Amino acid sequence: MEENKVPRRKKNRHGSPEVSMMKTIQGKIIIMAIGMVMFFAFLIFRTWTIMRDNGERYKKRVLEQQKYDSRAIPYQRGAILDRNGTLLAYSERVYNVVLDSSMALNDPDAIEATLNGVSATLGFEKDVVREYIKDHPESQYHILGTVTYDQRQEYETYIENYNATVKEENKNRETKLPGINAKSVWFEDQFRRTYPGGTLASDAIGFTTADGRGQYGLEEYYDDVLTGRNGREYGYLTAENALERTVVPPENGYTLVTTLDSYIQRVCEEKLKAYDEEHAGEFRENEMGADNTGVIVMDIHSGEILAMASYPFYDLNDPRDLSMYSDIQIDQLARMGGWSDEEPAEGESETEEERETKEERDAREESRLEKARQNLWKNFCISQSYEPGSVCKTFTVAAALDAGVIHDGDSFDCRGYLTFGEGSKATTIRCHQRYGDGVITLKQAVEKSCNVALMLIGQKLGKENFLKYQRNFNFGLRTNIDLAGEMRTASLVFNKNNMGITELMTSTFGQGFNVTMIQNISAYASLVNGGYYYQPHMVKQIKDSGGAVVQNIEPTIVRQVVSESVSRLMIDYCIGVVDEGTGTRARPAGYRIGGKTGTAERSGQGKRDYTVSFMGFAPANDPQIAIYVVIDRPNTASQENGTRNACILCKDILTEILPYLHIFMTEPLTAAERKELEEKGLKDTTALNSISENSISENEASAPVPMEEKPDIRVLIDDKTGYAIDPLNGEYLDPETGVPINGDSSIFQDENGNSIEIEVLKDEESEKPDPRE
Amino acid sequence: MEEAVKTKKHRRRRRAGDPVVLPDLVILGALFGLMIIGAVMIYSTTSYTSDLNNQSQFLKKQLLAEFLGLVAIAGIYLLPYNTIKWVGGRPMRLILLFGSLLSVFLLKTPLGKTVKGATRWIVIGPMQVQPAEIVKIAILIYIAGFIAEKKEFINTRTGFFHALAVTGLSAGLVYKISNNLSSALIIGGIGVLMIFASTKDWAKQIIGYALIIVLGVWFMISKAHSAQAAGQVDTLKFRYKRILVWEDPTNPDFYYEGAFQTLQGLYAIGSGGVFGKGIGKGIQKLDKIPEVHNDMIYSAICEETGLIGAVVVMLLLGTMVVRCFQLALKARDTYGMLLCTGVMLHIAIQTILNVMVVTNTMPNTGVSLPFISYGGSSALFLMAEVGLVLRVGRYSSR
Repeated sequence: MEENKVPRRKKNRHGSPEVSMMKTIQGKIIIMAIGMVMFFAFLIFRTWTIMRDNGERYKKRVLEQQKYDSRAIPYQRGAILDRNGTLLAYSERVYNVVLDSSMALNDPDAIEATLNGVSATLGFEKDVVREYIKDHPESQYHILGTVTYDQRQEYETYIENYNATVKEENKNRETKLPGINAKSVWFEDQFRRTYPGGTLASDAIGFTTADGRGQYGLEEYYDDVLTGRNGREYGYLTAENALERTVVPPENGYTLVTTLDSYIQRVCEEKLKAYDEEHAGEFRENEMGADNTGVIVMDIHSGEILAMASYPFYDLNDPRDLSMYSDIQIDQLARMGGWSDEEPAEGESETEEERETKEERDAREESRLEKARQNLWKNFCISQSYEPGSVCKTFTVAAALDAGVIHDGDSFDCRGYLTFGEGSKATTIRCHQRYGDGVITLKQAVEKSCNVALMLIGQKLGKENFLKYQRNFNFGLRTNIDLAGEMRTASLVFNKNNMGITELMTSTFGQGFNVTMIQNISAYASLVNGGYYYQPHMVKQIKDSGGAVVQNIEPTIVRQVVSESVSRLMIDYCIGVVDEGTGTRARPAGYRIGGKTGTAERSGQGKRDYTVSFMGFAPANDPQIAIYVVIDRPNTASQENGTRNACILCKDILTEILPYLHIFMTEPLTAAERKELEEKGLKDTTALNSISENSISENEASAPVPMEEKPDIRVLIDDKTGYAIDPLNGEYLDPETGVPINGDSSIFQDENGNSIEIEVLKDEESEKPDPRE
Repeated sequence: MEEAVKTKKHRRRRRAGDPVVLPDLVILGALFGLMIIGAVMIYSTTSYTSDLNNQSQFLKKQLLAEFLGLVAIAGIYLLPYNTIKWVGGRPMRLILLFGSLLSVFLLKTPLGKTVKGATRWIVIGPMQVQPAEIVKIAILIYIAGFIAEKKEFINTRTGFFHALAVTGLSAGLVYKISNNLSSALIIGGIGVLMIFASTKDWAKQIIGYALIIVLGVWFMISKAHSAQAAGQVDTLKFRYKRILVWEDPTNPDFYYEGAFQTLQGLYAIGSGGVFGKGIGKGIQKLDKIPEVHNDMIYSAICEETGLIGAVVVMLLLGTMVVRCFQLALKARDTYGMLLCTGVMLHIAIQTILNVMVVTNTMPNTGVSLPFISYGGSSALFLMAEVGLVLRVGRYSSR
């Protein structure tokens, strides 16, 4: 259509510079195009030669250098529960905050915003993080710290909101604001061991190190059970050389259901703490109420430990923290742990002190703190031995009765001292009643804790028998309780070869040999439960992480140590001790219990140092639990005060835990006792007793009765609803677990019983509409 | 067609110059093929390392730039030829060149943006542009306009050195200010070869350039070698180190001097084999090859689609080059012919440099693969150049 135009133009330009130039260009670009196409062909050839010459080698190399991204997935360490399912220890999922400096520097404008987010929500110092990025620009993995799930959530919402705001704002801005670079700070799964009770049962539970190994107590003893296996996420190559990913899930550790009862445990610890607060600095200034104070509460029909506490405590969540103790108390702790204060005396070695460098002083201080910590972590109840004193008289008497060398009703003449041996070897040991107890019966000998009578019994019993029974009561052997760090006492008791007459005589009243608390109470439980020695234990069930039972740990009877008739006599004698003997102060109001006091001189510690104790059982008519209170080196002026304090401590504990255990009052209350109970917010439970007795007689056939069945619950059933009623406060209980149905007013949270009623009332009030409104 | 001609619109167009016909389908086809391959490979190489909730963030940006590129092609294609000529004419080509060089200077202002130690972007509102890419298209238009206007002047000494000086100045500025050797090489290559194409002389220029290249390469290599022999590699600038890397990429001493990238790229190519590992199944892209979605995308193509994919890509790029050449031959005036030649040179030089770098045929320097590599400004301006070629083709097709 435009043909007429084209030739004209061509004609116009024929022979012009334009045409000649175009010809030149055409000639040149043909060569160029050919050259380029050849170059392209050469590059394809080059690519092919790389594949041909190095293909196989490079294929291998590519696969070799893949790390297969093998990533460990941490396992969750098993929890530790008390007998009612309350958490004592568990592993909480937390997150390591990982800083990737090189990623952050990729986007330098965003660093400031990112740091703001990190410091606002995760609480890390902005300047510290900025410095780190500056100093380590290549670093891709630096753990800033650990945060909880909530903090992580907060941070992630922060980023989201911030970036959304910035995006919105940037729409109307010339220079764009940077958002947060979410890749420069990321999170890595981790678990943190948490102890909700803090100091609760610290000595029994133990703690875990940062790398997840258990230290002390249950954590160490059951370390392999609690420990799981890390999972792994990794890549591997299939037959077709393709990279596949796979995940081996982690195996979580097993959960321990302990025999501890956190309520009883808490009561014990509160009383220990109260004792310490009352007596700290009483005799020796600024020191604690005693070097060590320990309580064990045990179910005598199974060997289950209901509570095991020893003061001083420590915080399981921060076991290295000593801030709750004063410097002098730390000194005291360190000294007990074997630290000797080698501060050079002033004056003579002043120059020497000057020469002591700062490092040396620091090292010394650190060793002092470390000694103090180690002593703090040690479980006094199982890891420290002492001379038990008079509480062991019960074992001597039981042994002699069981061996048939003495009988109930035998009488002994105490003149205040006893001399034995002949000639130059003659030794005289005094009774603590300087002028003698006179002629007393066997029962009175126990009640009055008469040393002379016990030595006479010892003479009748003889060395061989004494040692045999001592061995039967497990002294000198470990009880094999399932806790780490139980002390060996084999060398701390006498044997045939090193026991002379003096040793035998002192041993009859508990001096000269060493025991641990757990040995003593386990043996004592066998005296009052019919003569059966149970192996004490802390864990009754092991469950997997899904809640399925892996193992039930049943009570183990090791042997019968004394006959049932001897056991009955011992119960009677021990009741006598509390009724009219040395232990009257240990009786909780409204109850009748049995027990035995003990005061032992601490050998090698000077005259003023004693170990005082009370070991008892309750209730008198049907012993269920044994309790053992030991105050090691009480901070009191006299021995009598110390012994009295052990009794009072025991009474305070029993007063609160007996109603909780559904053991009701049997004894009439005096006016003073009523007032005392009122002050403590406890009720007279005598009325409930008739029901309780019925239930016990029903179940007598199947003794020993396990504590947890709490037979009286079944009897106290509300007719209308069919729920069980808690006799303490009238709340409905879940028939299976025994936990109050009205969730928040738990008896675990309240030791007085008082406020529970108030809570119930409150609930009713809130439900009723106020007519005035 | 008959009906279309009758419309008013068309009559107006006819008056303005030439009719709107279908643009060259071979070029368009090759362009779309390359864009699709590019999009797939960019997604394949970036989705793994991107944010989980935004795996296609790179792809989206690239597609946006390519969409703008298509708009540019359409716009340029519909412009009157006189306008195209006007751009290459006396005031405009100067304004364009100075403008582009000014944009290079903008890198030294706060508008400049630094990524990984190199300031190569300027930020204008929501866009980031590489001034070097603007200079490429500007020098192409400038040289074409200059030569076409002055005709025989280029064959005079003054004319020749004028054009050469402009080229050298532009390349030198880009090299000096943005420290970008590869862009400088491309700018220089386009200018020098366009001048060479328009001059009658063969031997003098070939010998001259060959001499300069040989001497330059010999100088650099010997400098690098002498430093290596003296054990003073650390004192060398990175360009010289890269020569040593090129000679022996497996030398662990140069691991952080770019050897890692080169070596991992070679591993990717070698392990791909003839048929490749399958699209998306490459391993090397996973944190192994730096800039795998950008300068090193050819290695990912080789790994995932093998030699076959590489050949397809080279064929498509070759088609573009050959088609530009054909349209240059058919062009009706020197200006159009030189425009097509320039675009042909641009695509070809950039492709050759890129593949040579990735296959370690020359020392490492950052060049993107035309129409495939990730990079908005590169794609946008290359497509604008394609628009120019198509417009020249439309002019000569009447």
